[in-house]
Amino acid sequence: MHSTNRMIGRARRFARAVAMLSAVAAPFCAAPRASATKSDDELAHVKAELEKTQSELGATRAQLDATRAALEKLAEKVDRIESGASTTASAAPSGPRIAPVNADNPAISFVVDTEFSTGDLDPGYNFSLQSAELFISAPIDPFLRGYASVNGTSEEGFGIEEAALVTTSLPWNLTVKGGRFMADVGRMPHWHNEQLPFTNRPESIERIFGGETISEGAEVTWLAPIDHYVRVTTGLYNTIGAENSDALFNNGFDGRRSFNELTWLVRPSTYFDLSDTLNLEVGGTYFTVNQDSTRSLFGVDATLRHQPGTSGFYQGFVLGSEWYWNSERISDIEQGINPDTGETILGSQRFHRNGGYAYAEAFLGRRYSVGVRGDYAEDIAGPADRQRTLSAFATWLPSEFQRLRLQGDAISQDGVDGDDGYQITLQWTGFLGSHSHGFAAR
Amino acid sequence: MALQLVRAAFSIAALLLGAAQPAAAALRVVATTPDVADIAHQIGGDRIEVVTIAQGSQDPHKVPVKPSFVTKLNRADAVVANGLGLEHAFLPALLEVASNPKVLPTGPGYIDASIYIQPLEVPSSQNRSQGELHPLGNPHFSLDPVRAKAMAKAIAEGLARVDPAGAESYQSGLARFDIVLDTKIAEWEQLASPLRGVKAVSYHQDLVYLADRYGLQMVDTIETKPGVPATPGHLEELIETMKRDQVKLVIREIAYEMPLAQTVAERTGAHVATISAMAGGLPGTTGYVDSVEANLKALVEAVRAAPGQ
Repeated sequence: MHSTNRMIGRARRFARAVAMLSAVAAPFCAAPRASATKSDDELAHVKAELEKTQSELGATRAQLDATRAALEKLAEKVDRIESGASTTASAAPSGPRIAPVNADNPAISFVVDTEFSTGDLDPGYNFSLQSAELFISAPIDPFLRGYASVNGTSEEGFGIEEAALVTTSLPWNLTVKGGRFMADVGRMPHWHNEQLPFTNRPESIERIFGGETISEGAEVTWLAPIDHYVRVTTGLYNTIGAENSDALFNNGFDGRRSFNELTWLVRPSTYFDLSDTLNLEVGGTYFTVNQDSTRSLFGVDATLRHQPGTSGFYQGFVLGSEWYWNSERISDIEQGINPDTGETILGSQRFHRNGGYAYAEAFLGRRYSVGVRGDYAEDIAGPADRQRTLSAFATWLPSEFQRLRLQGDAISQDGVDGDDGYQITLQWTGFLGSHSHGFAAR
Repeated sequence: MALQLVRAAFSIAALLLGAAQPAAAALRVVATTPDVADIAHQIGGDRIEVVTIAQGSQDPHKVPVKPSFVTKLNRADAVVANGLGLEHAFLPALLEVASNPKVLPTGPGYIDASIYIQPLEVPSSQNRSQGELHPLGNPHFSLDPVRAKAMAKAIAEGLARVDPAGAESYQSGLARFDIVLDTKIAEWEQLASPLRGVKAVSYHQDLVYLADRYGLQMVDTIETKPGVPATPGHLEELIETMKRDQVKLVIREIAYEMPLAQTVAERTGAHVATISAMAGGLPGTTGYVDSVEANLKALVEAVRAAPGQ
């Protein structure tokens, strides 16, 4: 197509040239001798006219180009004015521009989570600081970010809950985390207290993990490169669980152990959009300490959410449940009394214990929710001391950064304590600064 | 003859090879809101494949963080965001685990539709006692169709940056979208003329750009402060103000509950207009142009129904 156009162009130019030459040559052909001098003058005149015309044409073209450029600039200016865009130059010169000294400081937030409780199992009234958490986070460089959480409570004082480094740009959808952090176990075991939808952590989780899954170690997470959400985490830790970590620390453990004494974890999880507004998330957790099969734990978790995204009174619900089976060999368990010496005989013993919870929470209006929770807990060693707890809770958010929650627990115990009872807790939580634990807190 | 046969064979082979080559894969684009999704689609056409995170009827500040969006972001060539912090409730959390550095805000695939917008209501001081303020300014500029032209320009440039081979196509798409929008903007000026000078109350503080374009006078909000629910005391003050200032229009964004807006309107003799802060929120609307038109019609209808208008 282009070559055809070029050919047509050439032909036209050739025709014009022939016509021009004919015009110029015509006087010579008509009267070659008699008017030779006159013809020279006319030819010079024609040439001069032609050059003048060409010059004028060039000037006109230049003017046209300049006008077009000016029009384009004007159009851009009108667009900028219409869109409210800023001009590139400021009206007045500014003074020296000095970067603020705090420009590179991390994001900082603080949570105050306080509560007032009473009950007949632990008679009396109590104000307590459930959690005072300082959270800081920031990118470290193009490849790494870091975060830390320093938490204090009435019972345990202040301590570093998390201090971790997380990669941000590894290939093959891999993310590596290292330091002290909540191991990726189930759904709520790695949540901070203030993230929970209840005033307290389910007793089953408290007993199995000793609170949150605080761990020192390293984790690798892989996001499958497919359209369906599949995420797998594997990690290696000194141990998993707040109480376990504290026990090691308090007993003067120096942190060195054989490789088989480390805790190894794997957790796959996936997600299904059952409809535009209904979705299901399921996951499994397995971790083990290989040395003498000291500990192995299996867990499953499932969360069904209805998120209609409407503005009516009913705004959705969450059904969530987790269940764990723990098998652990505990040393220094009392085996009996030596009849000869009267001394206590200690030995190791394996305990198979399990526990879990299920809850339902409905969201009403923009700022309210109500829910119920059932929990079954066993001690992981020694007498099982089974506890069943039925809870009801109601939450009000006066704003996005303030929360009031009232919860009643009906507790049924057997074993050593053997008492039934109740507890009522009023929780008041405020968030200073932009507090977010990101995707994990969804 | 032999030469012709060879030429014919080459031609057939070339045709077959051409047919065997897969069509160029469309650019995978994740858009945060239906507005930027529709504008990107109008510009990109078949060159792009757009997935949207937020739905039109949702409150953009409360969009659920679904894991299925993580995989979309993981495989995306580009993210088109409204910008000015509108997506703060969901996009950072999703990008945190998406393992796709190129669509992070610092990456080449992050297209911010707000880059040519001069923000309004930029807080002079950031303090939560003033409510949930957006530190960069009010991010609801897509309600103004003239500013949408600036959004479209930013999106077209962003798409061309990510997909330089399609730069001409995106420029043509932008020109087509501008023509459609310019025609509609002229019509909407006429349609919305009854709004000029009308005093109104909105549920949330998100109509500053719409009011700026069509001359509405926003008096107050049903929310006590941005993002802070109405208190009884604030509602009493609001009703007194509306009666005193003869405010006859209550604008309820569809993501916010109707009963309270209706109560305020009934106590002040005003009429309620339901609009959508994002495209596709109102029934019967799908794209950005539909949505702007439906919003303006709803506002004009309520103004005409109000006594004394």
